[in-house]
Amino acid sequence: MNRIQRLLQRAAKASLYRKKFAGLKPRALRDLRSFSATIPPTRLEELAAETLKSAASLSPRLCAGRGPRAIFQLEYDTQPALYLALDRADLRRYVEVLKFCWSLVGLRKGDRVAIFDYGTSPLSYLAASSFTPYLDRGAADLLGCLPICNDGVANMSPRAVEILRYVRPRVFFIRHDCLHALAMEIERQGLRLADYTQALVAAENESLLSDAERSSFEKRLGVPIYRLLRIDAAMFLAMECPRCRMLHTRRDSYFVETLAEGNDAAENPLVITNWFARNSPTVRYLSQVRGSLKPSGCPRGPKDLRIAV
Amino acid sequence: MKNGERRLAPDAMDRWPEERLAKFHLHKIRQLLRHVYRQLPFYRQRLARAKVDPEQVKTLGDLARIPTFSKQDVLQEIRRQGRFDFGLETIARRDPAVLCMTSGTLGSSFLYLPRKWRALRGDSLLRAYWWAGLRPGMRMLMAAPAWHSLAVQESRLIERVGVSTVVPWGTFLPRNAGNFIDTISDAKPDFVSIFLPMLFAILAECRRRGAKPATVFKSVQSILAVGAPMTPRSRQQLVRELGVGDIFEGLGNPEGLTAMECASHCGHHIFVDCCFVEIVDPKSGAPLPAGQRGNVVITTLIPHGSIFLRYDTEDLGTILPGACACGKSWPRMEVYDRRANELQISGQRIVPYDVRVCLDELPELVNLPFAVVRGKNKMDRLTLLMQKPASGNLEEIRVRIANLLRKQLNVEATQEWAEELPQRWKGVTVIEEKDWRGARV
Repeated sequence: MNRIQRLLQRAAKASLYRKKFAGLKPRALRDLRSFSATIPPTRLEELAAETLKSAASLSPRLCAGRGPRAIFQLEYDTQPALYLALDRADLRRYVEVLKFCWSLVGLRKGDRVAIFDYGTSPLSYLAASSFTPYLDRGAADLLGCLPICNDGVANMSPRAVEILRYVRPRVFFIRHDCLHALAMEIERQGLRLADYTQALVAAENESLLSDAERSSFEKRLGVPIYRLLRIDAAMFLAMECPRCRMLHTRRDSYFVETLAEGNDAAENPLVITNWFARNSPTVRYLSQVRGSLKPSGCPRGPKDLRIAV
Repeated sequence: MKNGERRLAPDAMDRWPEERLAKFHLHKIRQLLRHVYRQLPFYRQRLARAKVDPEQVKTLGDLARIPTFSKQDVLQEIRRQGRFDFGLETIARRDPAVLCMTSGTLGSSFLYLPRKWRALRGDSLLRAYWWAGLRPGMRMLMAAPAWHSLAVQESRLIERVGVSTVVPWGTFLPRNAGNFIDTISDAKPDFVSIFLPMLFAILAECRRRGAKPATVFKSVQSILAVGAPMTPRSRQQLVRELGVGDIFEGLGNPEGLTAMECASHCGHHIFVDCCFVEIVDPKSGAPLPAGQRGNVVITTLIPHGSIFLRYDTEDLGTILPGACACGKSWPRMEVYDRRANELQISGQRIVPYDVRVCLDELPELVNLPFAVVRGKNKMDRLTLLMQKPASGNLEEIRVRIANLLRKQLNVEATQEWAEELPQRWKGVTVIEEKDWRGARV
């Protein structure tokens, strides 16, 4: 069995996919081309609608797992709310992707790293094993960094500035909606951000800072700002490369496609298949983020999957 | 008891006799003193200035020779050195660590928390969750403020007990109450660990949605609440309204104090395996006997990460006299409020907790938000601002409140009703007169 067949076999244990794949013969899907052509994408609305129907289960994607799990409510405005269940193995593989993102942006042993985001964001809960039950090693543990988190709330910007002043993180991860408040606070205190950190990384679920916004904040704050793409429903992370300025992610963790919409647009919605998620399989999740796939070959990660957005 | 449960059940340390606990404390404190003197510049300088040689501390009483320090000293040192690590942290490079922040009521400082700290503190805290009914195989709701040291300890005990955990999106701000309601309704946890003000925000959101709190909390057997003091009547009312088996209150601070209620609900047992607590006179600094209210001074007993030796928490508290009905020997304490929230009215020193206890005598007022107004000058009356109750004759209630305050606290009171307290005062029990007048204009 190849990994497509293994994924479909596992996914078929979940009520959502059991219905979706009814009549499908996984053994007939031998390559990614036939996989894309045969398997319909899964939309967020579909996840919400199926959650409503499967009242007995927390998530229609949930497969039987081993041992206790950490379950996170996802950051979507759907009704009902969506959840993601992860066991030790899921967490172990998910954190490898965050470690990849941290490495790409230059974090290494001995660095301090700050995360101005909620504890329920994967940027926070995957950062350190101390933050999350059943996470054997977080990105900071794997790389030898010292992490600090604070809720990403705009009116807590004075706390963000205290972290910058006294912790001096090499990289400061921040939610988009806190950038303006941080800039205001930095200006109010008359600080030069470059004295306290080397870069900001802006992230939010299924959303990216536009180029215009980014350059405006870069001018205002005087440090480079990189973007990190989170697609939480798919347990997907991709980091903007400081060299080629495209999003990089791990080829062994995801299969990424774009969904052509028939209007010759340069960028189309990204469709994500996750190879590592066991408890909550993700098969062709149609995200709200548009981009285009680019050939590998960036010197910072010659084999990485690259996405232009 | 099943095998797994037997392995996890707390040991007999909480029944050690007083003498054995005192011996344990003296041993731990002497070890700690030697460690901080040798390794940590912050303490070496303080001990040298106070002319205290660690070897001269031979009894627990000798500890009083070491001067206390407070958050202001910590903040001053952080600002002076321009760094989070200013010499009270044991940093072992091979032991992975995280930094957490203390809350900002007095200003934020940083805690260096390595894995060894997490293991010892988490295993200690497991005892409290066990008392509150957490058992293997359950599902527990935990909030995930990754900035808070409690989350670091909880993540450890969840792994040890082997419970599934569910985490709502967001944080403890009232605007996230809806997420908590959804998560509790959908995931049906058996056990909920929560910040008390969030519990009140959830009740308010239930009212807004027209949902019955007891329906939302149907699956929940126990709640462990932290973050604000709860009066006995307030707890009973919450248990009734939520329809849960029991609510246990925990108190503590990120610097190292942990004290938790047992099923007797007669104060909070101090977790003496990890911290040593003194109550001292706010003026003289002399130790106070059980039953007297004073400053809470703590000493952490764990030699890893940030170490607090005779740290004045700036809280007002008491060690409760007598033994607990549960039979546990760990001393019990009560913490009433921040010292900064103490008011002097006609010679009486009171904190909002004292007012709350009086208000809770009236069933219509239990758990209703209120605030006391602090005047700029000497106060001869208590000014009380209170949210209107849903039912009852307001004038009659006002008179009953005045009588209760006169009888129990020996103060005269002026009282005003409000439809709702301004959002920015939620959870704030003392407001300055100028802010109050500003809000009325």
